[in-house]
Parts: sequence; structure tokens; C-alpha cells
Amino acid sequence: MNSRSSALPYIQVSPLALVLILFFSIPVALVLLVSFFRYQMLVGIVPDFTFKNYADILTNRTNWMLYWSTIKFALIVLAITGFIGFWISYFLVFHVRNLVTAIALFLVCTVPFWTSNIIRMISWRPVLGREGVINQALVGSGLTDQPVEWLLYSDFAVVIAYVHLFTLFMIVPIFNSMARIDKSLLEAAVDAGASRWGVIWNVVLPLSKTGIALGTLFVVTLVMGDFSVVTVMSGGLSGSAASAIFNDLQFLNYPRAAANAVILLIVVLLIASAIFRLVDVRKELVR
Amino acid sequence: MNFTPVTAPSGASVTDTSNSGEIRLVDLTKKFGDTHAVKDINLTIPHGSYCCLLGPSGCGKTTILRMIAGHEAPTSGEITIGGTSVLGLPPVQRGTAMMFQSYALFPHLSIRDNVAFYLKMRGVGRDERRKRADEMLERVQLAHLRDRMPAQLSGGQQQRVALARSLITNPRVLLLDEPLSALDEFLRLQMRVELKTLQAELGITFVHVTHTQPEAIALADMVVVMDTGRIDQAARARDIYNSPATPYVARFMGAQNVLTGKVESIEGGIAKLKSARGETFELAPQKAAPAVGDDLSFSVRRDYITIHKRADAETQTATNSVLGTVDSIEYQGNFVKVSLQVPGLDTFVANVPDHDYFIEPIGPGDAVTASWDKKHAHVLDRVDTGASEPYAAH
Amino acid sequence: MPSSQDRRPWTFYVLSLLMLLFVLFLYGPMISVLVLSFQGPSASLNFPLRDPSLIWFDELFNPTRVGDVPGAFSRSLPLALVVMVLTVLISVTAGFGFRHRFRGSGPLFYMAIASLIIPGLVLSIGILVTAQFLGLSASWYGTALGAHLTWTLPFGLLIMFAILGRLSPSYEEAAFDLGASRWQSIKDVVVPIVFPGMIAVALFGFTLSYDEFPRSWLTVGTRNTLPLEIWTMTTNVTSPALYALGTVTTVISFFVIAVALGSIILIQRRRSK
Repeated sequence: MNSRSSALPYIQVSPLALVLILFFSIPVALVLLVSFFRYQMLVGIVPDFTFKNYADILTNRTNWMLYWSTIKFALIVLAITGFIGFWISYFLVFHVRNLVTAIALFLVCTVPFWTSNIIRMISWRPVLGREGVINQALVGSGLTDQPVEWLLYSDFAVVIAYVHLFTLFMIVPIFNSMARIDKSLLEAAVDAGASRWGVIWNVVLPLSKTGIALGTLFVVTLVMGDFSVVTVMSGGLSGSAASAIFNDLQFLNYPRAAANAVILLIVVLLIASAIFRLVDVRKELVR
Repeated sequence: MNFTPVTAPSGASVTDTSNSGEIRLVDLTKKFGDTHAVKDINLTIPHGSYCCLLGPSGCGKTTILRMIAGHEAPTSGEITIGGTSVLGLPPVQRGTAMMFQSYALFPHLSIRDNVAFYLKMRGVGRDERRKRADEMLERVQLAHLRDRMPAQLSGGQQQRVALARSLITNPRVLLLDEPLSALDEFLRLQMRVELKTLQAELGITFVHVTHTQPEAIALADMVVVMDTGRIDQAARARDIYNSPATPYVARFMGAQNVLTGKVESIEGGIAKLKSARGETFELAPQKAAPAVGDDLSFSVRRDYITIHKRADAETQTATNSVLGTVDSIEYQGNFVKVSLQVPGLDTFVANVPDHDYFIEPIGPGDAVTASWDKKHAHVLDRVDTGASEPYAAH
Repeated sequence: MPSSQDRRPWTFYVLSLLMLLFVLFLYGPMISVLVLSFQGPSASLNFPLRDPSLIWFDELFNPTRVGDVPGAFSRSLPLALVVMVLTVLISVTAGFGFRHRFRGSGPLFYMAIASLIIPGLVLSIGILVTAQFLGLSASWYGTALGAHLTWTLPFGLLIMFAILGRLSPSYEEAAFDLGASRWQSIKDVVVPIVFPGMIAVALFGFTLSYDEFPRSWLTVGTRNTLPLEIWTMTTNVTSPALYALGTVTTVISFFVIAVALGSIILIQRRRSK
């Protein structure tokens, strides 16, 4: 149909392009611009071309610590969500025989995705808190004398909340690529003498690669960009790369916030391009 | 292709000593939910034979194949290969290899790694693995493509890779699920010959599932014709073709006309039948003598029917003939397929030799008499219930 | 192969247990919030539930105590609806555009992906700065709307890819052959086929906007949307009113999800008849 009207696709994608240019490209470009501006107490933002903001950030040990802590969170959460995502998908695709049951269970896993993240995060308070469900159970059963303090407002709570919020981003793409695996490939592997693990390792895992990559992209970028979960769930004890921006904004220091944002954006894009280099996500999506 | 049996890989634990590829299915039943996919199947496939399971889709032939392969567990019954039960054993210990309809080549592995997969699972070292996979690829004449990915090969090439991958396990039984259905007509005929040659060279048992009659006839030492969940007839191809056991087989194989009548008298071993429409038929002496009053169905091959034009007024039929009107004419090269409309019959076809037809050409709408010699009437085991078979070949 | 044997392998039971634990992990906390939102006047934020009552729901509509919850609702709902409609229109047409080869399709695709993965806070700053450069003030119906679209459109586009990937171009071609105009072929052939997918896009558009926090943070201007209101409450409010609000928003989300999934199921069932 290309020959019928070559202008048509341009017309069709122009609203999308317009919105993205207006609300994504230009803002990002301006953030880059502002990151070279100067901040002056009481005056505010002063146009300039200075690397001072970047120098401030890169020489500040706290910022390095924040990035290190964020990357640590990202890796831990990636490991946990990857594990859960792979095995839940495997269970739904290869163990549940009834298609309707599989779809129903898949929906059970995805419905929370469509509800408020903040509410889901807060909902851990009555569970993990000092007088929460778990501590009541622990003390009540006599397993501990004192309530366990590190359940809430700790790195543990942050990881729990991340896993709670982001595992769906892992399950959906992995499920999607696993569901496309031709079942006879598994049988062919069994014919060739592969054990259960042999099949998983040699056939299922490599063929789920795109889903895992896409899930990794989502989970890592979501953790890298988060500041609300880490603030609320650690009780302000831990921070993230994005919470540095958040702090700068509290002081209305827009240039430094912008510089921080640019650095964060570069890190995120580097991670994303590394993932895109590993697997051709686009080919997988558009096919 | 030039195949020779491959020696068992070193360190392979062969569970059976006989190494015979004789397959026995005893009272084999498979239920999916409440429906029987396969019911009380009894079948022996001799060692080293080429067996075709033939039937329309949904008749249970693939289920049988998958149960032999160990990809489906029977609900009840027994499967033995080489005299020992294989129930519960994984495919490799059964000595079976399966070639899938879609070929099931691993899309993420090169051709060589696909073929070497079995060896990798056995822990054979990389160099040894490659060497043996390359040897096998040499045999299917694909060594030059060993570094390609499956998606880069043509259908015919993919099939050879699948074959190589199956044969590297050194099976005593090769199971083929509709292996030719994805190929175009030309390749299909070529691969058909190659499969047959291969089987003869290897001397192992081939079980081949198909829904195409000519494919089964051309390939098989033994054809198993299946109706929904049961076996109607298992015999040599020629017997299936000439002496179908049931009206279903007669119709499904396509070369026969099926007629039914009630036995009126038996004189000198010759039974006289009268049909519901008043025609009279004669049957030559049979193994089991029918009794007067029985309903009997018999079949007559299409090429044993002769056709004559008749005057419209002529409504009396001679013995061993029916009256009809020509419905359609199809020229087939060496014969002409004449389809008749005979009141009370679903189909009635005469294959008239080319030169006979053109001596006295007839056309649609002509009134004709179709007749045959009584020695060509073959009695069926079952009385025709008149169920038309949508998958029947024409 | 695990799925075709009659006897289930042991991994089935292990993974069933994992599935059960995961579902418990997903829903357990949400259910406890739901239950505790009916807490009595004791105002305890923890179990047990004493003297169940509706007072904390009542509290929500009493702005002096907990902030402007009804006002936040009155902004969040229309915003989510507008985002939903725009997301469906824009991402569905763009999805069709991407079926053709056109120059710039690669950059546009990667721009959409970048827009999806950019940290919300970074985008939030950008949009605020842009508005200031243009001399505009941030508002929930302007800047926040745009900020939400940068998040919902890529999602909608990815869903459309998944759906249109399965739509053979031969349907459209067949419609052309039968004498349909381009518009007719879209209206009578393509739209009915992709309709369930459009509902899914709408569901994403609505819920992602309705629950969006980081992208809203700097872009809504002076009047809060609901997630921002909740965010403020997490630091200020120490009564079960917070849970009551959580219950109300979750019920609204579930209602939207149920309508969307229900209509998809209804369409599929009608088709299979």
C-alpha cells in the first residue's frame, strides 16, 4: 500500500511526533541548557555557560554514594524480579494446561499494575511496621521478644516495595516471549535427551532473552529514576540518584538540579543502549 | 542421500539389548477430558517396516505417534518397543526420535549446533560434537550451510536438518509427524523418494503420520487407516486399496464405489442381493458365507465400472448395474473420471480409460447404465451406514 | 515435556507455591489497607480492626482536616479521561503509521522509548523549565497533560505494535479489493479487529495518568492531582483517612479495570459465537 499514498504514514505519526517533541525533546534540550546556567542565591537562575554545576556534583562524595546506592538497589531488585518474573512466566506458559486459567492467573498478576503506586507502597506500613502484621505475628508466636525494627524504614523495606511495584514489568515481557516459544521445541530437546534443566537452560532461557532484556530495561530505569519509594520506605535514611535532584529542587537550585538530571539521564540511556545492543528489541516489538 | 547406520555414541547407555524396533500397542486408550482421542488400539508394527498412519485430521493418528514418542502418556494400555515396555521412559531411552511437522529447529542455534544438541546433552566435548555433527550434515549434503541459522534455510533444507538432528540419536524408531506437508509439490515428491530410500538403508522402523492417501500408498509397507479414535484397517497398501475392510476405508481411499443390498438367495455359493431401490447384485463366493436376509455392503473399484448410454425410457436394470445421470466429466490424462448421479447414492464414479471414453463420448446430463462383473465386487466387513466422508479422496 | 505428561512433575508444585506466595505478596498489603480503612475512632493505623466504621471516609470529604481530596478528584478524573482519549487516538493512528516504512521511523521509535524510560522527575523539570521559558505557568490541564502523554503514548504504541503485528495486511487489502474506500476499510474492517486492543490502550491511558506521581510533581502547578494529594498526606496525615483514600482510589481503579476487561471479554465472546 506504500504506493497508494506515501504521505499517509507521516500524517499518521505526526500527532505522536508533535507531542513527543513538545513535551519530551524540547524539555530535555532545555534541561541540558539550564544545566550550564548559574544559580545565585535570592536572584535565582542566571543564564551562563559554566561547568560549575557538573563539577560540584562530580566532586561531591555524597552524590557518588547516592549513585552507588541506587545501582546496588537496581541490581538487587533486578535479581529478585528477574527470578520471580522468569519462574512465574514459566509456570503460566508451560505448567498451566488450561488456557483460560493461564489468562486468569496472568491477569491476577497484572491488575495491581493499574492501581496507584503510592497507595501500594503505603500499604506496606500496616504489614511491616513496628506494630504491623508481621511483628504482631512474630511477637505473638514468641519467636522474638521485641518487634523487629528493620522491617519498615530500612533498605529492606525499599527493596520489598520495589519488588512489589516493578515485578509486573518483568513478568509481562517475559511471559510474552515465552508464550511465543513453539512447544515442539521443548519436545525436540527432550527427544535429544535433555533433562528438565537442560531444556530450560538450552531452549527456554535463550528464547526468553528479549523478554528478559525488555523487563531489565523497565526495572533498571524505574529504580534509577525513583525518589518517592526510597524516600518513604527508608524513612529518609537512604537516597537515590533522583533524590539528589529532588533536594536541589527543594532549594530552588534549578541549574544544579538540571545538571543532576542530565547525568542521571546519561546513565539511564547508557544502560538502555547497552541492553538494546545485546538484543534487537525493536525487531522483536515490531514483528 | 547416502545414509549408513551410525554406530552408537560412546558412553551411550542402551537400555534394551534387542535393539529391535518392533512396536506393539496393546489396548491403548487416550482420553482428553471426557473425549477419547484414541480408544482400545491394538497394533503391531514389525521391526524395520515403513508404517503410515493415515486418516483425516482429528482421527487420533498424531496422538498415537506422540504416545509412542513419550510426549503424551496413555490413559490406559501398553506400549512396547523391541519387546519391553517403554511407558514412563524418556524418548532417548525408548530409542525413538521424532521429526516434527514444524521441524522444531532451535531458532537460536546454528545448523551445526542444532544437529549437535543431542551430543551436548550427553556431555560430549565440543570438538568431538562438532566433528560428528559435521559428519551428519555431510550425509544430508548440508555441510556447507552449517553456520547458518534455521530461519536462513529453505523448507527442504530445514527438513534435512531436522532429519539429521533426529538420526544423530541413532534411533531404532523414527517418528515422522506430517513430514511433507510444509513442502511444495515438487519437493514433496522428491523427499518422498528420499525418505523411502533412507528407511531401506537404515533398516529401522519408520512411523509416518499423514492425511494424504497417495503418500501413504507410495511409501508404506503397512498402512493403518484410522477413523475417529480407532483403527479401521491395518494392512499392506495393495490390500487397503483393493480389499478395503469397511465402507469408511473404501470411501477414504477413494478408488471404490460402495453399494448395499439385502441377501435374497444363495445359489451355488453366489449370493443374490436386492437393493432398496430394486437393483439386483451378485456376489462371488466369500470366505464367510452370508445368510439369507442379511444386509451386505460391497465395493467395486472405479476402474472396473463400464458405462453405456441408454435411452431415457429404459428404466429396467440388468443384474450388477445401476442407472444414473452423468454429473460431471474430468479428464485425468490416462483416464476420464465420470461422476454419476445415482438416486439414493452419495457418489458413484467410473474411471473410464482414455481411449474407451473417446470411442463413445458422453457428457453431463446423459442417461447411462453403469455395470460391472460380479468377480470385482468385494464384500465389506461392515454394513454401510451411508455416512459421507468429507475427507475422502476423489 | 512438563505440560503434556499426565503426572505433574514436582516443579509444578514448587512453582504453584511460588505463584501463591507471589499473589499473596501482591494483594496482602492492599487488602490490609482496605480492611484498616474501616478502622473505628481509635484511629489505630494497625490491626486489629476495632469498632468498624466509615468515619475515615467521611473525613476525606472534610477538607479542613486532610486537605482538598474532593478537589483533587475533580482534577484527576477529567485529566485521566482526556489523557485516555488522546492516547487512544494518537497511539492507534501512529501504530498504523509504523506499519509502513517511512523515513525517520527509527528515530521516532527511539524517541518514544526514551520518553518511556526517562526518569519522571527529569521530565518534570524539563517541562517546568520549558513553560517558564515560554512565560506560561504550569497547570494540570496543560503541562501535566503533556507530561502524562509522554508516558502513556509510548505504552499505547507498544500495545499497538503487539496487536497490529498479528493483523495481516491482507484484511485491509481484501477490503480494498471489495471496493471499500480507505476510510470504509478502516471503519468496517480494521477498527473492529483491533477494537479489544484499543480498549487495552484506553485502560493504560486512564490508569497511568490517574496514578502518575513523578511526572505530575512539578507540572500540575498550584492545584494538586490525587497522587500528589496522597503524597502530601503520607507525610502529614497519621490517621486511617489515608487508608480510606487508598481504598477509594483503588476501588475506582478496579472499576475501570473491570469495565475494560469485561468489555474485551464480551467482544471476544460475541465474536466466537
